[in-house]
Amino acid sequence: MDSADSADSARLVVFAPVDNTARVHAVVRRLADAIALGLLADGEQLPSEAELAGRLGVSTVTLREALMALRQQGLIETRRGRGGGSFVQAPARPFDLDERLLPLTLEELRDLGDHYAAIAGAAARLAALRSLPGDVERLRRSLEEMAEAGSGAGSVAGSGAGSDAGSDAGSGSGSDAGLRRLDGRFHLEVAAASQSARLTREEIRLQADIGPLIWAVHDDPAHRGRVRAEHAEIARAIEAGDDVRARDVAESHVANAVEHLLERRLTL
Amino acid sequence: MSEPSAVGAAAARVGATLDGVFATVARVRDASARCLGEVRGAGRAPVSADLAALGPLLSAHLGPLVCGLGFIAAPGLLADAAWYLEWWQTGPGGAPSRLLRDLNPESSALYDYTGWEWFTGPASGAEKTVCGPYVDYFCSDEYVLTLSAPVRVGGAFAGVAAADVFARTFENEIVPALREIPAPAFVVNAPGRVMASNTARWTPGAAYRGRPGFAARPCGDLSLSLVTAG
Repeated sequence: MDSADSADSARLVVFAPVDNTARVHAVVRRLADAIALGLLADGEQLPSEAELAGRLGVSTVTLREALMALRQQGLIETRRGRGGGSFVQAPARPFDLDERLLPLTLEELRDLGDHYAAIAGAAARLAALRSLPGDVERLRRSLEEMAEAGSGAGSVAGSGAGSDAGSDAGSGSGSDAGLRRLDGRFHLEVAAASQSARLTREEIRLQADIGPLIWAVHDDPAHRGRVRAEHAEIARAIEAGDDVRARDVAESHVANAVEHLLERRLTL
Repeated sequence: MSEPSAVGAAAARVGATLDGVFATVARVRDASARCLGEVRGAGRAPVSADLAALGPLLSAHLGPLVCGLGFIAAPGLLADAAWYLEWWQTGPGGAPSRLLRDLNPESSALYDYTGWEWFTGPASGAEKTVCGPYVDYFCSDEYVLTLSAPVRVGGAFAGVAAADVFARTFENEIVPALREIPAPAFVVNAPGRVMASNTARWTPGAAYRGRPGFAARPCGDLSLSLVTAG
């Protein structure tokens, strides 16, 4: 029992597990966002606890705490027995961008955007260098599906207040959710076309973090034209093998959305 | 002109390695066809639970080479699920685990698997399809090859039997033979993606679009080529 021992116990504190609350909160926020945006559909069954914990990279204990919180918020329902599991319940309240922006400082938002722009830009550059016709075809198909979905979307974007009209408005219109899924898929396809599994996994992770904020900007009818043009230009540059252009457009695609998030944050 | 024996040996190595995986795919194909045929014979439409019978075969054939294996139903085949795959893969701890995935394309834009080459190849009649390497964000988030074959019941296309091999596993199998070739040499798939290589100038994942001074020769009856320089 000497100074060496007390030094050891100090080290134990240093290496003690980081507060679990932050992880639980991160899982809750990610799933709640996905449900509010309609990315996880009403009635959809979530993967098993073990698979979900594995995919999110958290312990089952953390996951269970998060699921409990989601149950309390009425966002999921758990059924026991055969055919049981956790099922999504569409929320009464739509995704609230301002509520999500409020806890973030401009510095944090800017940094999140810097990170995402770096990943998206690097992925697009490598995709331009390495794409084969099949990869480009996939991007083109997503753009076409987005054009179709976009023609019917945009009915409830950004109008949270006073919109208590019905459950169908709970997660935005169906085509809004469809458009977000296609937007996410398009960027995932660009990342996969880079042939880098690490960049693709990072793209998936960042979509979960900043995607809901960016899609909230993209949903705004005022931005639809710009977003569509940027998507088309990313695909065109990749098809042309123009790596510098692909990176530039992919970076500014993120930066433009983040700029609007920063401006919005300043009005709160 | 006779080709150096090392080139022929490397091409044979590629063919033998993939043929070994295709032998496993053929077992899954036959077992799936038998399983579905028996259900049809009993006078009812197959359901997803019928395919659970494939589980022991699938988990038993995962190993050092094959990291994922299963049957992917043609949409509409099953009475209780429009989209379904009975898929087993090597879990994080090395033990076989079943992939559980809700595949309703309404809930995710990623789940329509009919656009993937490993599905379109067999669906259009190819007996052997080699797809990749590609980043598989559908199942594993890894860089993989998928080898697939059509499953037919009563002569009609019912789905796909497929096996995944990590790109790194394939590379470890092939590169020793490529290094015996005293010139830059690499294996490319049908569209031109480099699969394994003995030169830093052409790494796996690079796109090969033909080049003066490079010669390509086929690897067995597969739609792959061994490309050598000079």
